[in-house]
Amino acid sequence: MSDHPLYEDLSTRRLTWLRFKRHKLALMSGGFLIFIYLIAIFCEFFAPYEPNWRNPKAIFAPPQEFHFFEANGNFQFRPFVYGYTLRINPETWVREYTEDTSQKHPIYFFSKGQKYQFWNLFTARHHFITTAKGQYLHIFGTDKLGRDIFSRIVYGARISLSLGLIGVVLTLVLGVLIGGLAGYLGGRTDNLIQRLIEVLQSIPTLPLWMALSAAVPVHWSPLGVYFSIIVILSFIQWTGLARVVRGRFLALREEDFVIAARLLGASQLRIITRHLLPSFMSHIITTATLAIPGMILAETALSFLGVGLRAPVVSWGVLLQQAQNFQVIVLTPWLLIPGIFVILVVIAFNLLGDGLRDAADPYGGHQL
Amino acid sequence: MTTRNLLEVTNLSVKFPLLKRGLLSKQVGEFTAVDQVSFEVQRGSVLGIVGESGSGKTTLVRAILRAIEPSSGSVLFQGNDGAVDLCQLTHKQLMPLRTQMQMIFQDPFASLNPRMKVADIIAEPLVIHHPEQHLQHRQQVIKMLERVGLEADSLHRFPHAFSGGQRQRIGIARALILNPSLVICDEAVSALDVSVQAQVLNLLADLQEEMNLTYIFVAHDLNVVHHFCERALVMYRGAVVESGPVDQIFTSPQHDYTKLLLSAIPSLDPDIKLAPLDRNSLDLG
Repeated sequence: MSDHPLYEDLSTRRLTWLRFKRHKLALMSGGFLIFIYLIAIFCEFFAPYEPNWRNPKAIFAPPQEFHFFEANGNFQFRPFVYGYTLRINPETWVREYTEDTSQKHPIYFFSKGQKYQFWNLFTARHHFITTAKGQYLHIFGTDKLGRDIFSRIVYGARISLSLGLIGVVLTLVLGVLIGGLAGYLGGRTDNLIQRLIEVLQSIPTLPLWMALSAAVPVHWSPLGVYFSIIVILSFIQWTGLARVVRGRFLALREEDFVIAARLLGASQLRIITRHLLPSFMSHIITTATLAIPGMILAETALSFLGVGLRAPVVSWGVLLQQAQNFQVIVLTPWLLIPGIFVILVVIAFNLLGDGLRDAADPYGGHQL
Repeated sequence: MTTRNLLEVTNLSVKFPLLKRGLLSKQVGEFTAVDQVSFEVQRGSVLGIVGESGSGKTTLVRAILRAIEPSSGSVLFQGNDGAVDLCQLTHKQLMPLRTQMQMIFQDPFASLNPRMKVADIIAEPLVIHHPEQHLQHRQQVIKMLERVGLEADSLHRFPHAFSGGQRQRIGIARALILNPSLVICDEAVSALDVSVQAQVLNLLADLQEEMNLTYIFVAHDLNVVHHFCERALVMYRGAVVESGPVDQIFTSPQHDYTKLLLSAIPSLDPDIKLAPLDRNSLDLG
């Protein structure tokens, strides 16, 4: 009793957290997302190689297996991989790689490897995982130019995941501002905004995105393209959020406690910031969380179709471009691995959003 | 205006436009929710307003406080600085007057912000009108809590931790902390259990004496009005059909609608069958 404060005494935030904690899947998803965003932030450190570094000894090479036992059965605490021997099949001309047990490449953690510019601030050499000079490590294999897929996924995470976040922030700003305006002013403004949203929502999104991104000049820098893609994606996505915000505003405006505040003489600003916003903040956070995977998927789709981000920028969609033909599925299925990451992140965001929504719902049951 | 009257309402009407739904909505008519209502309230008295659901009671009192914009009429309020017509003021000009008139709401669950602590809810009027005295706010809130019969440890709790009666006490504390002269109780007890109703009514009566309050008491329960009010208005379809001292309304109702309302009060004697008058046989106007 003394350790556990009464249910009645808990703040909304604390209640939300207690309810959220019960949602094991959402909790795990949250953990996973934090983990993968950390990797994206420190991608130079986590990736063993630069995204555009080529290993001429391994073109279309399959993932290497981790070993603890040498060929003669000796156990070794430090994991290692074997180098490849290449044989071109004289009948099919397919490159066939086999493990060469004479080439042992031990794996080192937190040690020196390729030089890189960390956040463009300073030069560093330490990697989370690397091999000795002259040896190589391809956890997820390599692509047609011999670039390391694992490193490229790690670098791509930075682009794909940050694009989702920045895009949702932009969507939020647009949605809350326009939706709030419609809900608060009502009348003609509301009518006009509602019709605009209907028009925007009735245009098929994919052709519109493609048309808009085709209009982005080819000579723009990768950064310019990156931001223009964000703007294009948010341009469509804000409509859903604006609807939600407008609905909440309209509903809350007539709540007794809001009228009470007005009768107390509270200013408009005070009513909005103290009474309206706190009441649907949780709602907005949930909607935003559920909108991030949409952003990531849209970027992936655009880049996959070749109208989104373009090489040399590395995003998950750009990586998947290489998996556009069916040969890949038969001969080099590891090129599809970036897709697994897209799926994992999208599922995690959806589960997290579900958990947040249930937790933020004050009528979602009182049992803790 | 005589200074004995705290409030004089003259020909107050509230009309809502009826809009045709469609791409370009256009006004096709008007709905008169409050129709030419006039009455006065003496300082220190309790005026009851009764009527069935939808008769315009709530709209009327909300229009007096300008929570809903009245269409025509005047509301003369005898403020601390002389009489003013509330209908003529801008919302900014109304601000300082809000300290002198307050409202207690019907639904004790909806009228308190679920995300604010009791201390913040009750202190909000002080924060809005006397931000410079913020050091005294805590003291005033604790005093007010005591006055409405709540424990001081309620301060750090949220509204969901309280029962209906306790929440209504919080609403009363919030309404009274600025020391208003006019308090409008919009069905303040009708959402409560009967036993709790009695407690809250007694509290309101005690506070009236202590703080020299004037009440406008909206209710649909005639017994409560009989017990609590000195004068009463009977409203039907937005208009006042009868008004006068409560005893007179109860003993010799003039209007058929009042008779209908009175015939619908259940008796305490279970052997007496409830026999409401037949609506169709009455001349309700």
